[in-house]
Amino acid sequence: MKEETSNNSRRKFLKSVGISIGAAGVVSGFSLLGAAKAAAQEPRETVNLLTQDGQLVQVDKDQLRPTVTEPLTELQKRGREGIAGKSFVMVIDLSKCRNARKCMDACQNHHQLRPDQHHINVLQMQDAEHTAPYFMPKPCQHCDNPPCTKVCPVDATFKRQDGIVLIDNERCIGCRFCIAACPYSARIFQWTEPKDPEKYKDLTYNIEANVPQKKGTISKCLFSADRLREDKLPSCVSSCPNGVYYFGDQNEDAVTNGTTHETVRFSKLIEENAGYTLMPELGTKPRVYYLPPKNRAFEFNGDLLNEENLH
Amino acid sequence: MKNTIKIIASLFLLFVFTASVAKGQDWNVPASAKNKQNPYEASTKNISSGKKIYNINCKSCHGDAGMGNMLPLQPVAPSDLGSQAFLIQGDGEIYYKINKGQGAMPTFEKTLSDEDKWMVITYLRSFDKNKKESKQVAEVVNPEVSDVNLVLDINNEEKKINANLSGVTEKGDRVALQGIELSIKVKRSFGYLDISGDDAYTNEKGNVTIQFPADLPGDREGHVNLLVKVTDDAYYGEVSVDRISSIGLPTDPVNPLDERAMWGTRANAPIWIILSYVGGVISIWGVIFLVLFQLIQLPKMAKNKE
Ligand code: SF4
Repeated sequence: MKEETSNNSRRKFLKSVGISIGAAGVVSGFSLLGAAKAAAQEPRETVNLLTQDGQLVQVDKDQLRPTVTEPLTELQKRGREGIAGKSFVMVIDLSKCRNARKCMDACQNHHQLRPDQHHINVLQMQDAEHTAPYFMPKPCQHCDNPPCTKVCPVDATFKRQDGIVLIDNERCIGCRFCIAACPYSARIFQWTEPKDPEKYKDLTYNIEANVPQKKGTISKCLFSADRLREDKLPSCVSSCPNGVYYFGDQNEDAVTNGTTHETVRFSKLIEENAGYTLMPELGTKPRVYYLPPKNRAFEFNGDLLNEENLH
Repeated sequence: MKNTIKIIASLFLLFVFTASVAKGQDWNVPASAKNKQNPYEASTKNISSGKKIYNINCKSCHGDAGMGNMLPLQPVAPSDLGSQAFLIQGDGEIYYKINKGQGAMPTFEKTLSDEDKWMVITYLRSFDKNKKESKQVAEVVNPEVSDVNLVLDINNEEKKINANLSGVTEKGDRVALQGIELSIKVKRSFGYLDISGDDAYTNEKGNVTIQFPADLPGDREGHVNLLVKVTDDAYYGEVSVDRISSIGLPTDPVNPLDERAMWGTRANAPIWIILSYVGGVISIWGVIFLVLFQLIQLPKMAKNKE
């Protein structure tokens, strides 16, 4: 059985190599499959790609498919191990979040999620009756003492050496113990077939992006572990227009803002702004830090449900 | 027919957009605010610190001043803050707009200090072609030089970094360049950490000396990647040096998987859990097997008695 799966994935691997050979370095993450078909249809949103023989072609954006060129076994292995010597942390500055929700869009694009499925969600918060409301993006906290990995009966969810908590869809049996264990409600269950199954069906499962998603398994924020491998900031961090997110390596004591690309000392940032973590009393030791929503850069525009107030 | 509808629709859209653009640029700046004057002089230092603040806070939407590469936001694209059309207004007016914001432009009333805001205005004014009187006040005039050279001298014991900037004059002498701002940066995973402080301008000998933060981690041996460059490329083009030096604090990265923990996977579970689980299983099954065994033995025992 095992043999068969890995053979299968090797075949897939060869196939995807063949497909992506057409696209040049910049677009190596995507394949050109179906580009010709798109030309016949009405023009939609297109992107310019450079082929290897130096020709510029226009390709319909919908026709681009992500490809992964490593075989499944390799992806699983390095995904379990993590990146040596790193210790990733995120800092979220609540004084700057104005509910632009660009982080959520980017995340859903990256991880094959429907608009109603969240790895990261911007919540409207109000701590007490007379306190000021604020917006709070909430990803997985990637705890150093994660309750979710303790309860998994099949070792499907685990913590890696760089601090990231991941899920292996190939092992997950969908028991949902981990959803019950997580105090931050960071996990979602794929009740139905995931979004665009056709588009992703030939893709080798990448444990670091949890793509393709699988019905009957768990998914959650992964700190864009596949992007970190290429020294890129997570999708949400780099897509925020308001400078809310900082991300970096705690071992280096530095975090970089995804919007301004300013790099600052992690310890100073937390110390000077009274950074805190969510529900510290549970002893979960989150890796996501929050800076309080004081001195806000904008006025709170109130009710989320009121479309007019959305910015 | 279809085309006519399309044309009419797009004309209508165009009309709506122009109308909203006109509306979007409507700022109500009170007269009292307009009279405010920039209390800071247009010195090179102020301009360059204004540029830093601009690059961090304004550039992401407005693009580079004077380059027209702002974000194409709808319905109103941000203005090019280095353009004459923008700089025609007074300092007070710009100050007011930075403070209050409007639409997609956030307020910076609380997020930037007064001084920072004026620095940004000073920087923007340096693009103003009409304001001759606020021309840069050059504190030092360096001679025309070629072959600009940046030399690093790192003292690992005292954790001091000394950078020297010099150039060759037309006569062929190598002279120190004074009053030039340097950026001293340390490479981190996703960007460069600036450690130059507020006053990294070369002195009359062309030197800048800074103290490396004692608690800034390097790798296991304390190695860090340093990058020193002339902050403003406008002077001598890109002048920079990078160097790997063991000036950082040696840091052993902690691997959380080194330790057995409750949250670990099977292979990483604490010994006592493995022992008590296995022990539990063995003793329960042991009891069951013992009972079964004795049940089997019963007839034999009965026979023996007889
Ligand atoms: S749902 Fe999947 S990941 Fe979660 S505890 Fe069950 S098997 Fe593990």
